[in-house]
Amino acid sequence: MMRVLVVSAEAGHHPALAEMIGRFGHQVTVAHSGEQALQQAATALPDIVLLDVELPGMDGYETAPRLKSQADGIHLPIIFMTHLNDEQTLLRCLSVGGDDFLATPIEPIMLQAKLRSHFRLRELSRTLVEKNRSLAWHSARVQREHDIVEHILQNALSRNFLDYEHLQTYLSPATSFNGDLCLSASGPLGNLYVFMGDFTGHGLAPATGALPLSQAFFTMVERGVSVAEMAAEFNHRLAQLLPDDMFCAAFIAELSASGERLTYWNGGMPDALVLDQQQRLSKRLPASHMALGILADDDFDSRVTNLRLSAGMSLVLYTDGLIELHNSQQQSLSEQGLIDLLAAQPSLDIDRVVSAIEAFRGDTPQRDDVSLAILRCCATGIKEREPEYEHQGLPFQLQVDLTAAELRELDPVADVVQSLGQFRGIRDHRTTLYLLLAEAYNNALEHGILGLDSSLKEQHEGFERYYQLRQQRLATLEQAEISFQIRYLPQQACLHMNIRNSGSSWSPSVSARQQLATREYGRGLELMERLCDELALSDNGRCLSLVYSLNS
Amino acid sequence: MSLHTQFSNDGKQLIITIKGRFDFSLVQEFRQAYASVGSQQPLVIIDLRETEYLDSSALGMLLNMRKSLGNSIQGVNLINCRPEVRRILEISRFDKMFVIE
Repeated sequence: MMRVLVVSAEAGHHPALAEMIGRFGHQVTVAHSGEQALQQAATALPDIVLLDVELPGMDGYETAPRLKSQADGIHLPIIFMTHLNDEQTLLRCLSVGGDDFLATPIEPIMLQAKLRSHFRLRELSRTLVEKNRSLAWHSARVQREHDIVEHILQNALSRNFLDYEHLQTYLSPATSFNGDLCLSASGPLGNLYVFMGDFTGHGLAPATGALPLSQAFFTMVERGVSVAEMAAEFNHRLAQLLPDDMFCAAFIAELSASGERLTYWNGGMPDALVLDQQQRLSKRLPASHMALGILADDDFDSRVTNLRLSAGMSLVLYTDGLIELHNSQQQSLSEQGLIDLLAAQPSLDIDRVVSAIEAFRGDTPQRDDVSLAILRCCATGIKEREPEYEHQGLPFQLQVDLTAAELRELDPVADVVQSLGQFRGIRDHRTTLYLLLAEAYNNALEHGILGLDSSLKEQHEGFERYYQLRQQRLATLEQAEISFQIRYLPQQACLHMNIRNSGSSWSPSVSARQQLATREYGRGLELMERLCDELALSDNGRCLSLVYSLNS
Repeated sequence: MSLHTQFSNDGKQLIITIKGRFDFSLVQEFRQAYASVGSQQPLVIIDLRETEYLDSSALGMLLNMRKSLGNSIQGVNLINCRPEVRRILEISRFDKMFVIE
C-alpha cells in the first residue's frame, strides 16, 4: 500500500483529489499548510507528496526541501500541482527539489501513472539504502576482523628476532596482509635460524598460513632442532592445513654460533645468494626441493646442504616478488639485475639497497609481496642458554634400591637423573650426572655383579661380544642388589653419591686407567675422575662414592 | 626415533642426528647408519644438538666407527654439542681425533 500526502490550501482541490487517490486503493493524508505537512510527514511517513505551490504561511518552495531532508535518506518523490503555463514557476519547483508536476485540473489517469512510477522509484531507493546499510555493516565487520587477525599475527610474531644486529630485513606487502613471511630466532646453542617463506597469492588467506608456521618455528628453534627436521615438520603441518592449490615456497637456514657453517633447505624459492666481502656473488643456493605443503610425508625430501663460510660473507634471501619488480619500461629487475645492484653498493646496507630498488621501480606499482633479508655471516655473538645458577635451598636425599628383577628389567639411570632434574639448578647438569651415574651403575652391574672382564673389549669384535655376554648373564640373574644413595647439600651446592652393589669385590685393572681415547674401554673411570670433584672406592670395590659440585 | 640418518643434497655428507640418549642401546642402529657411507668418501657429521645423555659406550661406538670406516670417509665432525657434551668430549681428548664444532 502506497501512502500519499496531499498538501493543499484549505480552499483548494483536495477533497476530490483525496477521494480519487482513495479509490486507487492508496492511503491518503491531507495537510493544509507547509508546517502541517512537515508534522504529518513525520508521523504518516508518506511515500509520495503532492504539493501545492501556494500555501498559507510557508509556501511549497520552502516546504519541499524540508520534506526531503526529513525523509531519512530514502528518496521522497515530490510532485508539484500547478497550471503548467508558467515556465518560471516550473523552474523554481525543480530547483527546490520537485521531481514532477501534475497539471490542474488533475486527470485521474495521469495521477495514477505518476503515482505508480514515482512509487517504483521510491521503492528502488529504499532497496538501495538498505543494501548500502548492510554493505556498510559488513565492511565494518570485515575491517574489525582484519584488525583482529592483524593483532593475532602481530602477537604470533612478537618473538621474531628481526632486530638481531647482523640481520637486516625489508618486508613490503602488496596489500595490508603479507603473504611473505620472514622469521628469525636464536637456538639454545647460540645458533641463528632464519626462515623466509612465500605463500601462493597475497592478502589475508596466505597471511593466515603464517600462524601455524611461525608457532612451529619458534617452538622448534627453542628446542634447537635441525633444519631437516624443521622442513619436514613444516611440510607436514602445511600439507594438512592448506587447501590443495595453496603452498609455501621456503628457505630455511641455520647459521652456527661460530658463523662458519650454514645449513640450508630451499624448497621452491629463488636462489639465495652468498656474497663475498666486496658484495660479489660467491655462490648461489638454489632450490633442490618442492615448496612446503605439497608432498605427503613419505615423499617429502628434507635433505639439507651444509656450507662453509669465510669471514665477511653475507647471505641474501629474497622472494620472487623482488626480482619480478618492473620499471617504467616494463623490464623486470631479474636475478642478474639484483646481483649487479648489490655489487654496485659501497656496503650491504639495507637502506641503500632498498633505495636502489625503489629507484629502479620508479612509479610502477608493486604487484606482489616483496621481501629481502641480508644476513652477515659472522660469529653470532648470541650466548648459549645460561645455566640456572640459583640452587635448591632444601637439602634432600634420594635412595633407590634395586633387586635382581629390577636389574633385569629396568634401565634405571635415566630415570634417576630425571628425578634429580626436578630440582632447581640440577637440570643443567643432567648430561654430566647421567654420565657419572651410568658409569658407576655399569661398573657395579657389569664388573661387580655380572663379573665381566673389560679386557674382553680389546679383542676383535670384543665390543659386541662383551655386550652379548652382559645380556646373557643379566637375563639369568637371580640374586643381586644395587643401590643409589644421593644426598644434596645446599650449603656446598654439591651432590654426594654412593653406588653400592652386592657383588664380589672388584678393583679396576691397571689397563682401565691407561690412556684415554685410544682404547674402547676403561675410559669410564678416568672420565668420572675428571668430571667429579672426588671419587673413592670402598668396601672392596663394592661401593663407589662420588662428590659432584654444582658450581663447577 | 632417536637416531636419524640422511645424506646432504650433494651426497658429500652423511648426517647422523642422535636425540635423547646415546649409549649402547643404539649400537645396531648406529652401525647401520654408517654402513651406508658408499664409495663417495663422504664426510660424516654427527649432530649432537639434541643428545641429552651419553656414556662411555657412546664414546666407544664413535671410536669404533672411525676405525671401521678408515679411509672410506673424509673424516668425522661432531657438531652442535651442548656445553656439557663438549666438556665430556674434550676431557676424553676426542678433539684429537674428531673435528668438534
